[in-house]
Amino acid sequence: MNRSKTMRVSQGAQMTRKKRDLGFSLLLLLPAVVITTIFILVPVIDSVRESFLDYKMKNIISGRPGEWNNFANYIKLTANAKLGPAIVHTFLFCLVVVLLQFVFGMALALVLNSDIKGARFLRSIMMMPWCVPTVISALTWMWLFQPQYGFIRWFTGIVTGGRVTDLALLNNPSTALAGIAIAALWKQIPLTTLLLLSGLQNVPDSIEEAAIMDGANAWNRFFRITLPYMKSVIKVVLSMAIIENFKQFPLIWTMTGGGPDNSTTTLAILSYREAFVSNNLGSGAAVTTVWMLLMIVVVIVFNKLMGDNQTT
Amino acid sequence: MQKQIVRKWITMITAVCLVGGLTACGSGGSSGAGKDAAQTSKETLAAGTEKTAENAETETSAEPVTIKFANYALLEDAYTDFWNGVKEGFEKEHPNVTIEWVTAPYADITSQVITMAGAGDKCDIVFGENTWISTYEDAGFAVPVSDVLGEDFVSGFHENAVESCSIDGTAYGVPLYVSPFILYYNTDIFKQAGIDNPPATYDELLADCEKINGMKTADGNVIYPFGQTTASVPISGTSINSMIYNFGGQVLDADGNLSIDNDGFHQTFEMLQTLDDKGYNPQNAKLKDLRNLFALGQLAMYYDQSWGIAGVKAINKDAETYTKSAVPLKGGSGDGASILSAAVLILADNGDARKEAVKELIEYILRDEVLGDYLANIVPAYPAMKSMSQPDNAVLTGAADSISTAVASPSIPQLNDLNLELDTLAQAVTVSDEDVDKAIEEFRASAKTLLQ
Repeated sequence: MNRSKTMRVSQGAQMTRKKRDLGFSLLLLLPAVVITTIFILVPVIDSVRESFLDYKMKNIISGRPGEWNNFANYIKLTANAKLGPAIVHTFLFCLVVVLLQFVFGMALALVLNSDIKGARFLRSIMMMPWCVPTVISALTWMWLFQPQYGFIRWFTGIVTGGRVTDLALLNNPSTALAGIAIAALWKQIPLTTLLLLSGLQNVPDSIEEAAIMDGANAWNRFFRITLPYMKSVIKVVLSMAIIENFKQFPLIWTMTGGGPDNSTTTLAILSYREAFVSNNLGSGAAVTTVWMLLMIVVVIVFNKLMGDNQTT
Repeated sequence: MQKQIVRKWITMITAVCLVGGLTACGSGGSSGAGKDAAQTSKETLAAGTEKTAENAETETSAEPVTIKFANYALLEDAYTDFWNGVKEGFEKEHPNVTIEWVTAPYADITSQVITMAGAGDKCDIVFGENTWISTYEDAGFAVPVSDVLGEDFVSGFHENAVESCSIDGTAYGVPLYVSPFILYYNTDIFKQAGIDNPPATYDELLADCEKINGMKTADGNVIYPFGQTTASVPISGTSINSMIYNFGGQVLDADGNLSIDNDGFHQTFEMLQTLDDKGYNPQNAKLKDLRNLFALGQLAMYYDQSWGIAGVKAINKDAETYTKSAVPLKGGSGDGASILSAAVLILADNGDARKEAVKELIEYILRDEVLGDYLANIVPAYPAMKSMSQPDNAVLTGAADSISTAVASPSIPQLNDLNLELDTLAQAVTVSDEDVDKAIEEFRASAKTLLQ
């Protein structure tokens, strides 16, 4: 009898503690919820709402709300021949840059993780492109690629013994996106390398040694031990790279402005032109909404492909 | 257990402080804007009260007034001293008026001004270009100049200069100085190629280009015969639009509607394709690229605004020795008309006291010893005011007649985006080597969607 009473009292105390813990947890979550709501959710919802309105600069100044315009922004968007190519360019750019970034980043991380001389110095030097502001990087690469007096044109002329004298990546609609991708890779590979390097350094040596004793070759060790152990880091690295390149704007706008012949017009460029060059904020918001929906699809597919964060 | 409770409380207090701090930051911003709005209404109220008094004018001029002047040029080294000098000189003459600068880079100043105005903090003056006017008018920011300077202000300016700042016959900007797209040419290259005079027509241009084609600089670099910018920036579109006027064509009619079914429009893009096919025009070049090439002696002639030569001289200070200018070329049935570009002041209404101060400032800037000095020594351009003497600039002399034939292009809020579409059309017939008719139809579809 006494025992069951003690148990009931103990259960009651546990319940109270659980409730208190739950309340305290909610309290701790409150700042994040408030900040996310104010700075992310409200602007996103407002942007989606504006995409259904006739909303221009004058609405900002006069404080007048936009007017419902019967999906005119979306109708205009579908009638715009640029939307389809912009989606293709966005996905193509994102896919190529993310894949190459991962491959080169991993290769560099493996090199820096080995016992080569000056690894620490190389690590510091390697981070420099990442520290350069994106617009400065874009201007630098734009000058390097300049078709009439750029360094790369001159250099290819020297290297090819004068056979290629007119290399102009940014001038050719079929290579302009590749030119921007090179600049993006130069800027982004350092951070990827650093993150992957930190992941590599967390792979337990004991497992590697055990695999060596079991006769596993380098290839098998890398794919069956190293990569699975790095899964959580890889997931973070790829997520960051996808988001960065899906929304890439300053590099493209500065280097080509979406040209030549719309060959580098991505959703980011299209959205900016609608909203801030044509001064039609409603129409720009419609592009942004489509862009956001596509991004959500990409995130869902990515999460499906990557599964959970378990290493085994 | 006690330790855990203490830790919980510390965490809780930190969280509350974080939220509180952020909220304070947010409200701080808006209260700042509110203060400005309150200050504005105080000034307006003060001005209104004074107006009812018998000696209104005297009291208004004595009341301390702060005017906000949005000016991207302050961030550009070449112009900083001039504008700071304007502030200093004006404030000395008008001790009751303070000029408060609002700055942002060229590409961002409009967003900055509009966003501030949306928050109730409206600038009084914006220094910009005539192509910006429709954006500011459409946004409800710009007021007719006559509201600030009076009805008779237009009489002091050249007619086409005022027209280039007007929408439906009402001026929404004060033109300071103007320039059409004129032809700059390198006299040294012309001499080497055996060309005595600059071309007057596009046929003569092609003939001259043939003579120059294949020439190289002393250090073996290619010399391009002719430069017309076609890169994806709005100014390139303005320049192409100007070329369309050379051929007697147009992009927009007087009411701002798309109007491209004219020979001049078609002939312009045929000419651009010909120039590209023959390798005469550097592909997809920005105006900056053309200025660099011209400064390096790698470009025989190119189209630019008068102030472009300042950019050339910044790279090569000896460029003036070989640079001359000529009027725009005549093509097709056109008479070589060009688009008039203008540096302007766009004005807003922040109450009578601030409008009065703005009026005084504009009168100060337009003085010969202020603006005249600027045009003579800093920005080579043609003054918009009739009373102001033409700058004594040997380089600009050859193109002086181009002012009288220059026209004001219709102004629409989507003008910059339409200019980017013109760039795309030019790129389609050059770097993409598309058929001119097909490319024009693609342009028509894009432009129609844009102008909806």
